Amino acid sequence: MVPAKSASAAADERSLGNACRVGARSASAGAPARGPDLIEQLISSRFVFAAVAFALVCAMAATVSFARAPAWQVRDKTWAGWAVRDFLTGDERPQVVFLGSSLVLVPVATVDANFLGRRLDGSQHHRSYYFEHGIERRTGSSIRSFILALPGQMPSDAYLITDYLLDGKKTPPVLVYGVGPRDFMDNLLPSPASTDLFRCLSRFGDISGMLDRVMPDWVDRFNYRLGRCVYLYGMKEELSCRAGQALCRLLDRLLPVPPGVTPYTVAHRREILPGYQMGGLEAGEAFFRPHGKDELTFADNIAEYRKRYSTVRWDTFTTQMRFFAELLDVARQRGIHVVVVSMPITEINRSLIAGYAWDAYRNSIHVLATVKGASFLDLDGSGAFKQSDFMDTVHLHSGGGKKMLDMLADRLAADSALRPARPGKRQPEM
Amino acid sequence: MLFNSLQYLVFLPTVFLLFWIIPQRLRVPLLLVSSYVFYMSWRPIYGLLILGLTLGNFFLVPFIARSTKHKKLWVGIVVALNLITLGVFKYANFAAGTVTDCFNFFGLTVRQPHLHIILPLGISFFVFEFIHYAVEVYRGKPVVTSLPAFALFASFFPTQIAGPIKRYQDFIPQLGYPGKFKWEYLDQGMQLILMGLFKKVIIADNLALVAQAGFSHPESFSAVDLWLITYAFAFQIFFDFAGYTDIARGSAMLFGYKVPINFNLPYLAANVADFWHRWHISLSTWLRDYLFIPLGGSRGTRSQTYRNLFITMALGGLWHGAAMHFLVWGAYQGILLIAHREYGRALEAAGVAERLLKSKIYHALSVVFTFHLVCIGWVFFRADTIAAANQMVLKMLTAPAELLHFSLRQLAVLQIRDPLIFPALLLILPVLMISQPIVNWLNGKRFYQSPPWAVQVGVMVALMCLLTVFSPDTSPRFIYFQF
Repeated sequence: MVPAKSASAAADERSLGNACRVGARSASAGAPARGPDLIEQLISSRFVFAAVAFALVCAMAATVSFARAPAWQVRDKTWAGWAVRDFLTGDERPQVVFLGSSLVLVPVATVDANFLGRRLDGSQHHRSYYFEHGIERRTGSSIRSFILALPGQMPSDAYLITDYLLDGKKTPPVLVYGVGPRDFMDNLLPSPASTDLFRCLSRFGDISGMLDRVMPDWVDRFNYRLGRCVYLYGMKEELSCRAGQALCRLLDRLLPVPPGVTPYTVAHRREILPGYQMGGLEAGEAFFRPHGKDELTFADNIAEYRKRYSTVRWDTFTTQMRFFAELLDVARQRGIHVVVVSMPITEINRSLIAGYAWDAYRNSIHVLATVKGASFLDLDGSGAFKQSDFMDTVHLHSGGGKKMLDMLADRLAADSALRPARPGKRQPEM
Repeated sequence: MLFNSLQYLVFLPTVFLLFWIIPQRLRVPLLLVSSYVFYMSWRPIYGLLILGLTLGNFFLVPFIARSTKHKKLWVGIVVALNLITLGVFKYANFAAGTVTDCFNFFGLTVRQPHLHIILPLGISFFVFEFIHYAVEVYRGKPVVTSLPAFALFASFFPTQIAGPIKRYQDFIPQLGYPGKFKWEYLDQGMQLILMGLFKKVIIADNLALVAQAGFSHPESFSAVDLWLITYAFAFQIFFDFAGYTDIARGSAMLFGYKVPINFNLPYLAANVADFWHRWHISLSTWLRDYLFIPLGGSRGTRSQTYRNLFITMALGGLWHGAAMHFLVWGAYQGILLIAHREYGRALEAAGVAERLLKSKIYHALSVVFTFHLVCIGWVFFRADTIAAANQMVLKMLTAPAELLHFSLRQLAVLQIRDPLIFPALLLILPVLMISQPIVNWLNGKRFYQSPPWAVQVGVMVALMCLLTVFSPDTSPRFIYFQF
């Protein structure tokens, strides 16, 4: 316990006394070397040489596009990663694409689970069979849908999807975009760029032009710029992913899972490491299950939404509303007909939002949809949904979802904009 | 502002460049302002705390030097003021909880008052530096006459949050050195910073996942798994803190200042006393000089010495955190130190001490045994509660029986394939363990002390590439930040 006496014991007290008056010392003694000396020393510095060598490594890697792969090939095991990969690798062009947050995804997928009578893997299920069936029943034409509605999706994410993905061969004739007040006034969201979805989608295009809006914090912008300047830093996701795959192969060879033993499931891993890859989604991890009326329960998520709405952040509201407007612009330029659906929420949830914020939200989406030439389907104001249609204060359950998809199919079946989307042949079942 | 954050990547080069550009008389003020910016970037209000303590100590300690009759009283007042501040901010909640528990134990139902006190970062470190200053002046050392220099001693940003705990006699004279920039400052400083980041980001942060899972859910793991997890934590805390210290020393070196080392291959210690010579050296020397020696040190009877050792280590444990499991960890270290002394006496009495200590096999076995004793201590250190630590240690003690019919099927770490650090433990831990004696052996070699220029450059480039690719978007705080 008694270490050797530290050097402090031998400190020169006189020099200490002098040093204590350090503020009075004369200036300018510390000017660095100048001219040729400086250059000579600069070259002989190991760190400077290493920094130059590192810059050269990055430049060479950039020149040969080391490890660069198409954005969709990056193994991004998130809700967005699975959906985007499926969307881009699928052969067929969908006639209707769904956008929105879990307010859209949950009812659409749970209706399908009931409709098909089996549980559906969240990472794989990206079609609305019930909706396709409904359109066919109403019009006699079959269509193909694709669900790009994803948990936590904000209008900024929806804009990136529209701009980067719904283009060329993948341009759908119709885009159904379900919005809710949370999409425009979520206090828990630090910035538009902080969602998993945005991180995934930003690989598909250049977001430099919108940095101020999506990354209000200078650290985030600096991080982004650093990634653009330093090739290896910009490619770190791809490189670390590849390194992980290589390590995985090595470990499978050297230290395989012992025979007769089942590897940990994602659910088990989540129990012991709840904070690890929170936004991640593995195949077979999350299912939409069929259920009868008796099994429906109402979950109280008021506390969560109270936090989300606690104070209205107008910067978030205006930023997201601007993305919403730009989404409608991009869609119109590409000939995509947008149906803006005002998603129903419960009275309990609405009461948590300040009156002026609610009015601003309602008026803005209605006016923008109208001005930008989109259809507006006001399910929230329709009076058709009661609290018994919901599984919590905002998400419709399968019963409510069925009602919603029926109303949507009625509207689209009568909508002339959908006509070019009806090729006439029925799509094969999943 | 964390050392491994992008803010620091901007902050440090900015201060570095300004420091060497401006006239020397402005350098201490620059570092002082930078240090306060660094501290207040977390919670601006706590800048007042460190400022208040600095002013209090600066103006009160000279009374200790000047007084002839009441030196003890003055030093008592200064030390008490520092300790009260530490107590209020760090131990008030713990004390309230302990008192409430006592009442409840005797059947008196009392609700614990909730004190909204947030522990200021680094308070344990700068309070210890103030106490060291007051006691040294009491012992006859000179007072610091420059307020900026004294303020910088306490707030110097590289060592502000988690040490090393500096000695003012070592640090303050450096502020007055004629400051001419030398490229070796940049080279040595950046080498240390890169190495520190590697230890923290690549090694400690990955091992942290294993420790987090194992210590929060010991029931999911076998006894052998728990030993592996404890080894992982032993290396996590070492690389986390050693990494922090390297970055702190490297950052200070960029300005031409030297701060003390904190580690010297602690897991090669052959006994617990040796371990404390090698682990968190700046704290153990502080405890020796300002707690163990004032308590009487080894000057009294054997039982008094043991009492002093026990109190020193128990309080040292409590310094790490206001929780019972830290106190138990400290007490455990005290008991180990006492047992080590008794063992040494027994060997000497038997006349075998000299022969055994010369034996290489005995030395190797001692290192392994000490490492395992330290690891058991880490369980109490890391666990959330004493009950959880007890449960884990009891399970770990069944490992020998488990090993009798051992098969790889028992290892849960092989069944968790994501994150990969779990199965990789079986490769990484032996490498980390073997690296310790290898580094020890290399330390004696000239080519390791001053490697060829190309090797140094190559290592730095490799570290830059690794850190660039594998640095996570968010990294956990350094473990010692909470103390």
